[in-house]
Amino acid sequence: MHAADTISEAEQALCGRFQRAIPARANADPHLVWRGRSLRTDCLVQIGSTAFLLRIDAGSIRECLTRLPLLCSWAFAVRGSVEGWAALWQDPPPPGWHDLFALSKRGEMSFEGDLQPFLAHLQYFKDVLALPRQGDAR
Amino acid sequence: MTRAALEPIVGRYVRVPILGEDCRVYFEEAGQGIPLVCLHTAGADSRQFRHLLCDEAVTSHYRAIAFDLPWHGKSYPPPGWQDYEYKLTTQRYVETIRAFCAALDLDRPVVMGCSIGGRIALQLAHAHGSEFRALIGLEAADFQAPWYDTSWLHRGDVHGGEICAALVSGLVAPQSPAQHRHETLWQYMQGGPGVFKGDLYFYRVDADLRGKLSGIDTARCPMYLLTGEYDFSCTPEDTLRTAAGIPGVKVTIMREVGHFPMSENPEQFRRCILPVLDEIRGDRGGAR
Repeated sequence: MHAADTISEAEQALCGRFQRAIPARANADPHLVWRGRSLRTDCLVQIGSTAFLLRIDAGSIRECLTRLPLLCSWAFAVRGSVEGWAALWQDPPPPGWHDLFALSKRGEMSFEGDLQPFLAHLQYFKDVLALPRQGDAR
Repeated sequence: MTRAALEPIVGRYVRVPILGEDCRVYFEEAGQGIPLVCLHTAGADSRQFRHLLCDEAVTSHYRAIAFDLPWHGKSYPPPGWQDYEYKLTTQRYVETIRAFCAALDLDRPVVMGCSIGGRIALQLAHAHGSEFRALIGLEAADFQAPWYDTSWLHRGDVHGGEICAALVSGLVAPQSPAQHRHETLWQYMQGGPGVFKGDLYFYRVDADLRGKLSGIDTARCPMYLLTGEYDFSCTPEDTLRTAAGIPGVKVTIMREVGHFPMSENPEQFRRCILPVLDEIRGDRGGAR
C-alpha cells in the first residue's frame, strides 16, 4: 500500500468512505450476512493504488485490513480506478458506470485470481461493494 | 374471486412444429386488434410482458401475445432434450417465430423482441420483412462486445440461477422500482440449467449481424429500435451504430431504463412504446 501522502485526495476520500461502510454496514445487515453463509474467503479490494484485504467467514466480514500482512494470500482481487469507484458510488450512478461489470467492460475495473468464490456469491459481493453509496456524501 | 381481481391475461398451449420437432409452446395473450407478438430476453420467459398485456392503451388496439420459447417458462424442451446441449441458433429462432405465428394464423403481425428478441427482429427485417406489419427491437443491435465468459453460467460449482440473476442485475437501471427489479431477476433464477447460456450461443456466436443487414425495407415494414440508457450490454451506441445502416429506422433512447424495459420499469417503458404502437396502427395524432 502506498503512503497516504503519495495518493490523491480523491483516492483518500474514497478509501475513507469505503472504511466507514465496510465492514460495519455489511455486518449490520443480517440478511446480507445470511446470503453469504456458505462463503469463506480472503479477497483484495483495490481503490486506485490502495488495497484492502477482506477476510470473510460465513458472510461476516471479520477483518478489513489496510496494512496488508507480508506475503499475504488472497483468492481473488477486485481492482478499480478512482474514477470508477467514484462513479459507482454516486446516487444514482451514471449510465455505464453503475455496475462492477459495466466498469470492467469500459476498462475501469478488473477481476483477478480464483473467481469461483466471487462469482458463486456475485450478488453478495455486488451488494457489499455498493454499500459506500449509501448515505455518505464524502 | 371478484371480477376486478382477475387480470385480462389468458394463457394457453399450442402445438408448433419447429424444424421437424413437435413443440408444445405456452403463450399468454390479451386484447383484440393487430397481432403484436412479444419476444422475451435470453434466459427468461413471457412474464416479462405482463404489464404490457394488462395495459388497455395497448390491448384496446392490439392482440398482444407473448410466448415462451421452447426450454423456457412453461414451454418444455422438445422430446429428447436430455441427450444434447441446448444451443439457440439464428435458423431455429427465426423458424420458431414463423411457426408460432403460422400456428396461430396471425396475419402480418407486429413483432417486438427484447435483447436476443431484438437481435432476431433485425434478422426478420432483413430476411422476412414482408411477413410483418412492423418490427420493434428493444435493446437491439447487430453486435455487442461480450462482457463475461458464458461458461460461468452452467457449471457444477456455481448455482446457475444465482449467477444468471446476479450478472444481469447490473443491467437493470438503478431507478427501476424494487418490485419490478426483483421480479425481473426472479425469472433468471428460475431458468433451466444451461438455457441462458444456450440462448447466448445465438447472441454471441451465431448471430453477429454486422454487415449482414442489407436490404431492410422500412417503407414496407417499418422498424423501430428502443434502447435503455443504462444498458451496458447493448449500449445506446450499439443501437445507434446499427440504426445508421438501416435507412428509415426510428430510434428512441430511453432514460432511466436498462436492458429489460418492459419488466423493470413498465411505467417508463409505456411512455416510450405507446407512441410507437400508435404510429404503427396509423394514429399519428397522439391520442394521449
